[in-house]
Amino acid sequence: MRAKRLLLGFFLSASFLLSCAPETENIDTVNEQAKAVMALDYRDFNRAASEMIQSMIQSGKLNKPDGGRYVMTTGRIVNDTMQRIDTDQLMAKIEQDLMNSGQVVMTSAVGGAGAPDQMVYDVRDLRDSEVGDEFDPDTLAAKKQLIAPELSITGKIFQRNLRYDKKRQQVEYYFQLKITDLTSGLRFWQEEVLIGKRGSNKSVAW
Amino acid sequence: MLAGLWSYKVLRACNDSKLQETQVMKTILNVLLIITAVVLSGCYESHDERINLNEEIRSDTLMSNILTRPVGAAFSALIGQGIEITHVVTGTNKAGFMVLQVDGYNRSTGVRRFEYKIEWLDDRGMVIDSAASTWLPVSAKGKSRFSFSSVAPSRDAVDFKINTRKAG
Repeated sequence: MRAKRLLLGFFLSASFLLSCAPETENIDTVNEQAKAVMALDYRDFNRAASEMIQSMIQSGKLNKPDGGRYVMTTGRIVNDTMQRIDTDQLMAKIEQDLMNSGQVVMTSAVGGAGAPDQMVYDVRDLRDSEVGDEFDPDTLAAKKQLIAPELSITGKIFQRNLRYDKKRQQVEYYFQLKITDLTSGLRFWQEEVLIGKRGSNKSVAW
Repeated sequence: MLAGLWSYKVLRACNDSKLQETQVMKTILNVLLIITAVVLSGCYESHDERINLNEEIRSDTLMSNILTRPVGAAFSALIGQGIEITHVVTGTNKAGFMVLQVDGYNRSTGVRRFEYKIEWLDDRGMVIDSAASTWLPVSAKGKSRFSFSSVAPSRDAVDFKINTRKAG
C-alpha cells in the first residue's frame, strides 16, 4: 500500500514537472520585445543592415552621374567573431534594399566567395559540352554577355570582449562595410555600426 | 502678491506703534528683495539656442541646484514627463529619395530610451517593404534635445508613419 502511494506520488510529481516545461512558440519577428542576448540575434542583424542601408542611400554615392544603375558585387565579408555567422544574414537584407532603391543591380556572376549563382557558369559549360548541340542555340547564353561589376561591397564583422566589472562583461560587435570602385580602386563609401551588449559573466557570446 | 497680502495684514495688526510699523516695512522690503532675487536667478537663459547646456554642467541656480534638483526630478516623475516631438522636417535629396528628420525634447530628468520604426508609404498609401524598416533605438538625455533622421529606401516613397515603443 505504501509502495503504491509512493509510486502514485512519483508519477503525479513527474507529470506536474513535465507539464511546466515551456511550450514552443513562434517569435514575433515584427514586434518582438524579448530581452537581449549576448550573442548576435536577428534583431542585431536587422539593425545593422538598416543603419548601413540608410547610410549608403543618404550618402548619395550610389547616384550614378549619367543615370542608370551601378553593377555591384558582394566581395569578402569576413566573420571575425566567436560565432558561426553566415554573413548572408547581413548582406541579403542590404542587397535586397539596394536593388529595390533602383540605384544598384547585383551580379550573380562574380562574388567574394565565388559566383553567388554557379548556374551562370554551369549553363556555359553546358553550351560548350558535347550535349550543347542538343539545345536550341538561340536559347543558350552567348559568349561575352556577362556584365562585369563596377562596384564591390566588402566588410568585416568582429567582436571585442571586455571585462566590465566583477560580475559583468561587455561585448562589442563591430560591423564594417565599404564600397569600392573596381575600375579606379577608390573607396566610395564606408560605414561602421557598433552594437554593444553588457551582461553577466556567465553568459556566452558564442 | 502673497507677500503683498501678507504685508497688508501685518500692517493692519500693527497700526498702534510707529516702531512696529518701521519693522514691518523693513520685513516687507526684505521679502520683496528675496522674491526678486529668486525670480531673476531662476530664469536661466542660454546665450545660443543651438547649444544646450545640461543642468549638471552649467552653473547652478536657486531653482536648479543640488538641493532642488532631486525635488524637481521627483516632481517630473510624478507628473510623468517624457518625450515630446517638437519638429518634423521632410525633403528630397539629390538622388530623389525622401528624407526625414524628427526633432524632439526629453522633458524628463533622466535618460529616456525608446525605439522607433518608420514605414514608408507610396502615393497610394501602400507600405513599401524594406529591410530598413525595423525597430531602431534612440537615446535622449534628460532635459535635452534629440533628433533622428532617415531616408526612404525607394524613390516611390512620398509619405511615412512612425511607430514608437519603449526600449527593451
